[in-house]
Amino acid sequence: MTNAPAIALKNVHLTLGEGAGQVHILKGIDLEISKGTSVGLVGPSGSGKSTLLMVMAGLERADEGAVKVANSELGPMSEDQLARFRGRNVGIIFQSFHLVPNMTALENVAVPLELAGDGSAFDKAKAELEAVGLGNRMHHYPAQMSGGEQQRVAVARALVVEPEILIADEPTGNLDESTGTQIVDLMFTAQRERGTTLVLVTHDPNLAEKCDRTIRVRSGEIEETVAAPKKEVSA
Amino acid sequence: MSGFVAGKHHSNNQTFSLAARFAFRELRGGLKGFYIFIACIALGVAAIAGVTSVSRALTEGISQEGQSILGGDLSFRLIHRQADADEQDFLNSLGTISEIATLRAMARSDDGEEQALVELKAVDDVYPLYGEMRLQSGQPLETALAKQNEIWGAVAELALLARLNVEVGDTLSLGRTNIQITGIIENEPDKLAGGMEFGPRLMISKDAIADTGLIQPGSLVRWLYRVRIDPAPSINALETIIKDAEKTKADAGWRIRSRANASPGLQRSIDRFAQFLTLVGLTALVVGGVGVANAIRAYLETKREVIASFKCLGATGGFVFQIYLVQMLVLAMIGIAIGLVLGALIPFAAGAALSSVLPVKLVTSIYPMELGLGLIYGLLTALAFALWPLGRAHDVPPTALFRDIVTGGSKWPRKRYLFATAVTVIALAAIAILLAHDKRIATIYIGASAGAFVLLVAVARIIMAVAKRLPTVRSTELRLAIANIHRPGALTPSVVLSLGLGLSLLVALALIDGNLRRELTATIADKAPSFFFVDIQSHERDAFEALLTKEAPTSSIQSVPMLRGRIVSLNGIASEDFVPVQEGSDWVLRGDRGITYEPSLPENSKLSEGEWWPENYTGTPLVSFDAEAATDLGLNIGDSVTVNVLGREISAEIANFRDVEWQSLAINFVLVFSPNTFAGAPHAHLMTLGWEDEVAVDTELALLKEVSNTFPTVTAVRVKDAISQVNDLVAQLAWAIRGASSITLIASILVLAGALAAGHRSRIYDAVILKTIGATRGRLILAYGLEYAILGLTTAVFALLAGGVAAWYVITRIMGGSFVLMPVTATSAALIALVLTVGFGLIGTWRVLGEKPAPVLRNL
Repeated sequence: MTNAPAIALKNVHLTLGEGAGQVHILKGIDLEISKGTSVGLVGPSGSGKSTLLMVMAGLERADEGAVKVANSELGPMSEDQLARFRGRNVGIIFQSFHLVPNMTALENVAVPLELAGDGSAFDKAKAELEAVGLGNRMHHYPAQMSGGEQQRVAVARALVVEPEILIADEPTGNLDESTGTQIVDLMFTAQRERGTTLVLVTHDPNLAEKCDRTIRVRSGEIEETVAAPKKEVSA
Repeated sequence: MSGFVAGKHHSNNQTFSLAARFAFRELRGGLKGFYIFIACIALGVAAIAGVTSVSRALTEGISQEGQSILGGDLSFRLIHRQADADEQDFLNSLGTISEIATLRAMARSDDGEEQALVELKAVDDVYPLYGEMRLQSGQPLETALAKQNEIWGAVAELALLARLNVEVGDTLSLGRTNIQITGIIENEPDKLAGGMEFGPRLMISKDAIADTGLIQPGSLVRWLYRVRIDPAPSINALETIIKDAEKTKADAGWRIRSRANASPGLQRSIDRFAQFLTLVGLTALVVGGVGVANAIRAYLETKREVIASFKCLGATGGFVFQIYLVQMLVLAMIGIAIGLVLGALIPFAAGAALSSVLPVKLVTSIYPMELGLGLIYGLLTALAFALWPLGRAHDVPPTALFRDIVTGGSKWPRKRYLFATAVTVIALAAIAILLAHDKRIATIYIGASAGAFVLLVAVARIIMAVAKRLPTVRSTELRLAIANIHRPGALTPSVVLSLGLGLSLLVALALIDGNLRRELTATIADKAPSFFFVDIQSHERDAFEALLTKEAPTSSIQSVPMLRGRIVSLNGIASEDFVPVQEGSDWVLRGDRGITYEPSLPENSKLSEGEWWPENYTGTPLVSFDAEAATDLGLNIGDSVTVNVLGREISAEIANFRDVEWQSLAINFVLVFSPNTFAGAPHAHLMTLGWEDEVAVDTELALLKEVSNTFPTVTAVRVKDAISQVNDLVAQLAWAIRGASSITLIASILVLAGALAAGHRSRIYDAVILKTIGATRGRLILAYGLEYAILGLTTAVFALLAGGVAAWYVITRIMGGSFVLMPVTATSAALIALVLTVGFGLIGTWRVLGEKPAPVLRNL
């Protein structure tokens, strides 16, 4: 087994928009994230941290530079190959949950497994929902659940494929403090117990502190990287 | 590169069945937002399935009643003459024979005050061989037609009694004899076998016809020999008998029909009319297609996040397309199913509601083929309009979940979806054209509709571009209206496209109808003579002309010899087998034609090619052919034409072509022969009489009375009566067509309502925000009213132009008439557009404008 990083970005540039509206968002990012570690991306709004996250998830293509995630070069992949890659290797948690409204909690969690052709999709989804404490809400629709419950479904959906990388974009931004804490605990437990690499974007300094490393992004560049002192995350 | 590409290992996981599963999960949300989509498809499919089913039910009716409509298993028709002994023997060898004579004649009231053109039918004792001849009184026909007290009995349609102001029991003059009306016809089983009727039916016994003196050599009488064969042979066996009769009695010149082809004229009319209405139904479907596209686009807009979520979770673009394609197909099938149920019910409703109007009894049933056609049209239309917006779902970026991307308008879908859309559109057009009886007309119709569609898209873009570039106006309301016309997601494309198509069709149909009727009532009536007199015997020709000159000294009179015959072959090819080079004049080869001979070029004609024969020409028989018909049939100077007249086949060589102005209704013939062709043949004469200036109705009627009383065997056709007869027919057809095309307008309204509903939320938002910052309800209504009025008016202007051009093309190029733009039609179209857009638009926002801003703001 090699000690290759889970995520490796080399001289990544990205410009969005057209004509006069062009914005150079990522300006030569070099970054390596080791397997099984947790990284918090922080920085002011518009600094490029969410875009950086998207590049790591294969949701956005770099204009220049190399992106290697879970041992795969993302640059040469087609859109469809990227989609399948995400389905197998990357779990994503959004601030606004983004569950499919006409699917039950169980069906929402089963979707990525179904897309990957997993024959036991529903059994695994059921187990994952039980693991996040929603064994009794499996057949409820998103609209019938609270924000915290919806985000727990989203976490289950992200983890059900046993991804190498777990990505979260302000996962507690839409939740009250105590519910937010439950979600954070779920994510960090998974990172610790399953060896998943966790990358999250947050404005919450307390959440950033919980990560092994904090990367501050400003104007499309990495301003500083701070390794956190080793500490236990409360369960 | 590591070489690991996840997709390669899982390329077959995202199957169609998985997409279908996802699609059905999504559809759990119900049909909300899709009612317009479903209604649009249902309406168009119902129209097509309904029209084709009714047409089929009529065709089945004709086919089931073939024996009674034809009056036998076989019918042999001769013109001018009765069957000779040989022919009679041949006919008798086939089965039971019924001999009937039909002709047009004048019936006069006993006092000579009233006269009417009648369709006279003289029948024998065995008539009718099939079906039931029913009189109102219930008495048997034979009794009613018998001679009593030296006077023949006769039965007539009620219309004749009303026309002549007589009752059952009264006496009428017919030719040189008197007849007594003994009954009123309630049902005449073989009425449809005849062609166009110019007067009410009068039926007498065949034995009575001799006494009338109406049948003279050259008289325009048709002798019909109906054959009943027991047991009734198969259609194939009948065809064999027909072939045999044509071969063994080739000289007879008779036209033979079997019960399978009892009323070809009616069948043709039904087929053509149904075809036209199917095209109108298809237009409704295409207009509804705009609603389909709008609904899909709006739906996918609300699904952007779900699509992006799927993609984040590993779904490919193609898989996403499949999920929504399945959903669209499910919704389309719901619409189609509703449409098919309605369409299948239409023949039952029509059968019940129109039983007194329809020429034959509808054989109501569920016709799977016709319903299948509705299904195919519905499905293809839904696909044609949905594939484009669905294709765009393929490329919804997963990053849509992270940032608000401006949902810009016109990103084209991938090539495969453009290709699929093109294939669907071509398939739709190809089916419509291939199934059409007149492929040229269908092609023109579809081409014009497609052209109008593309033009309307361009018009919508131009309106938006112009609105965008307009200088800032002072009026806030107008400024708001103009901004609403060009802002992203504006109503402009939907309104212009849906309403524009429907209105263009309505304007075109209204202008065609108006021009046709103007042509009939004004133009033709101006140019046409006032009377046609037929069956003037040679010996009475001079006396007849002298009477006309005496009674109407200021009139102009034309006289020509008149025979009837039919074209048997052209260049040796039987007319049944002859293939014209282009459509339009095949009628020349069907049925019998008026034939004449002239020493010199007729007055209303112009020689377009070849030479006229010398005054005293005695060589090979020559013929002059109508130039347009000759072009359509592909004939050249020197070709040979064989006609059967009076049981003789006569061949002549085409010497020249003439341009004939048919609309003038003056004496015109397709075929004019050199005089030597018919030397010695018995024939009658045809005369026309016209006045330079319009004369009073009384003058015409007085002349009619004098002529009918002095020459009772001459038949007078008053042109005004004939025109009003045709006009009535055109009016009835026009109503049917307008009724059908209003379906297109309903589709337009549905699309319009859908588009307005889709924009409703942003309208509420705009209105409430503007109210919050001080706009009054009146000013907002004015602003929205202005917006809708500008859109409605622009659409109306386009509809007038497009509909006008289409009508002009049909009238001048296809029908060869003259075209006049009718301002009333134009204004009505503009009004319809205005009322619809402003009305529907304001209804939609009225409720919102009445509400207090606060509660709405809280719910936004």
